[in-house]
Amino acid sequence: MDKRVLSQSGLAVVVAGIATLAVAPGYSANLVMWMAIAVLMAASLRFVLLIGELNFATAAFVGLGAYGAGVSTTILQWPFAVALLLSGVVAAAIGFVFGFVTLKTKGPYFLLIGFAFTEMVRLVYTKVQWLGGNSGMVGIFPPQYLEASYITFVVVLVGVLLIALYAIEQSHLGKCFVAIRDNDQVVQSVGVNVHLTKVACLCIGAFAAGIAGGLSAFVNNVISPGDFGFLLSTFALAYLKVGGEDSPLGPVAGAILLVLLGSVALGLGAGEHVFYGLAIILSVLLLPQGVVGLLSRLRPGRRSQAHVA
Amino acid sequence: MQTALQLVMTGLQIGSVYMLFSLGLTLIFGVMKIVNFAHGQFFTLSAMLVAVLVPWLTTRGVSLPVAFGLGALAGIAVSIVVGLLLYQFGFRYFQRDLVGSFILSIGFALLFEGVFLHYFGGAVRAVPPIIDGDVSFFGVNLTAQRLALGLVALAFTLALYWVLSATRLGKAMRAVSIDHEAAMLQGIPYKKIVFNSFAIATFLGAVAGAIMAPISVITPTVGADYLVKGFIAVVIGGLGSVPGAIVGSLFIGFLESVGGYFFDPSSANMAIFVLAMLILLLRPKGVMGNG
Repeated sequence: MDKRVLSQSGLAVVVAGIATLAVAPGYSANLVMWMAIAVLMAASLRFVLLIGELNFATAAFVGLGAYGAGVSTTILQWPFAVALLLSGVVAAAIGFVFGFVTLKTKGPYFLLIGFAFTEMVRLVYTKVQWLGGNSGMVGIFPPQYLEASYITFVVVLVGVLLIALYAIEQSHLGKCFVAIRDNDQVVQSVGVNVHLTKVACLCIGAFAAGIAGGLSAFVNNVISPGDFGFLLSTFALAYLKVGGEDSPLGPVAGAILLVLLGSVALGLGAGEHVFYGLAIILSVLLLPQGVVGLLSRLRPGRRSQAHVA
Repeated sequence: MQTALQLVMTGLQIGSVYMLFSLGLTLIFGVMKIVNFAHGQFFTLSAMLVAVLVPWLTTRGVSLPVAFGLGALAGIAVSIVVGLLLYQFGFRYFQRDLVGSFILSIGFALLFEGVFLHYFGGAVRAVPPIIDGDVSFFGVNLTAQRLALGLVALAFTLALYWVLSATRLGKAMRAVSIDHEAAMLQGIPYKKIVFNSFAIATFLGAVAGAIMAPISVITPTVGADYLVKGFIAVVIGGLGSVPGAIVGSLFIGFLESVGGYFFDPSSANMAIFVLAMLILLLRPKGVMGNG
């Protein structure tokens, strides 16, 4: 990835991090953190879309990350940094096994099996007593030294991960992902192990989703199985679709827009389901390239800029 | 032995509803190559209308079977109209676009769930039994109502089989699902066939909802449970395959009846998910899928 993009996006992350210092603690701080986590979830979904597969198990990986953070913080009493790292690692490890088995299938089969996997993982949480069963886990707090600046930490970490995902997308491996999406047999014919490359893509996506889950566990302090049903994948899909999946900025734009509008709509008394449903339908029918695609079409001279950064 | 027979009968009965439901899914996939997540909403809509109309009609002096018949007709008719509206203003533009159509159907599913929750409320509704009494044979006990339900589902499945194998429409549908371009070259009116297939699939989903209403509790999210199982049934059997959908549904019905008897329903659900993944590991395109 070229230096200009790196420095621009790095600058954007620093600016976003500094901007969070101005956010008052309380609801608005939580809203900003939810936005950042939603961005990461949508980016994870988009990353797996690079190999052409819609990963509906994203919610399961977010849940695994959240439970990983929950268990290591409340039961094992491990430090925060280890717990957060573990949330990503657990999700990636299970993502490896899941991907290794299921990525032999593709298209609708992979999509539907990811959907079934999400529901199965959710049922497992409810059955395991030391995970809190149906009521989940409580008391997952960030450490004291981060209490005040947790929002800055979340926003900067999400920013860094987004840059890392983009760097992978631009690397040789990322080119392989896109080539697999376009025609996996050609990729196979030049000696790339298609199956393992797809599994690697899913693993990286699962890692990002797991970190999103770990971060959200520390924001909400409470996790329960019901939070990680397939509805969560649906929301991630809505963020991605509204933002536009062609550009790495799509997840950012979509998540910020929808979380913000969603909180306004909920304040006005509209149902969450109706809001997200309408957002998806309208963006699919009217904005096939999403908000980012629309912006770059309105400013054709600056099209290239919308695709980088 | 008696227990085994009882479990088989229960499995058949549960499986028959999944069958009706998943036939619609597989039909839409076969002809349009789309995954329709809004299919469960037709089920919910028709079951909900039955659950609302039956008490409303019976308090106005209509006898229970007539009220159920009217409710079911209304539920099925409204579902088909809604389904065709979704087709006309949505799915029509997303044929053979798996991701796009899936996302659109997710949007519709969410929207409808929200609307149902708003208008019908989260409360659980129940319809009084339409047919009373039990039927027992070979020492197996089934309520007459569940037996009738199984028979209705079987009748519709046979009717669909007949349509697909013997009528011009059915042959055209099969041709389109194998190769739509070759079918068009033969002069098969593709758009009309797709429209009819979507209507038939919606009809099957709505019928499943209407006949399930008297034997289960109806909530605005009842369709979602059937959707998950219906899709697993189709995935096990092979997307687009009609015999596959039937085999997959019966498989899930048996697992639910056996697992629910020896363990508990959520263990049965987990077993279904694990077995579905194992089957896909061995047959990535389902037991009877080939394309």
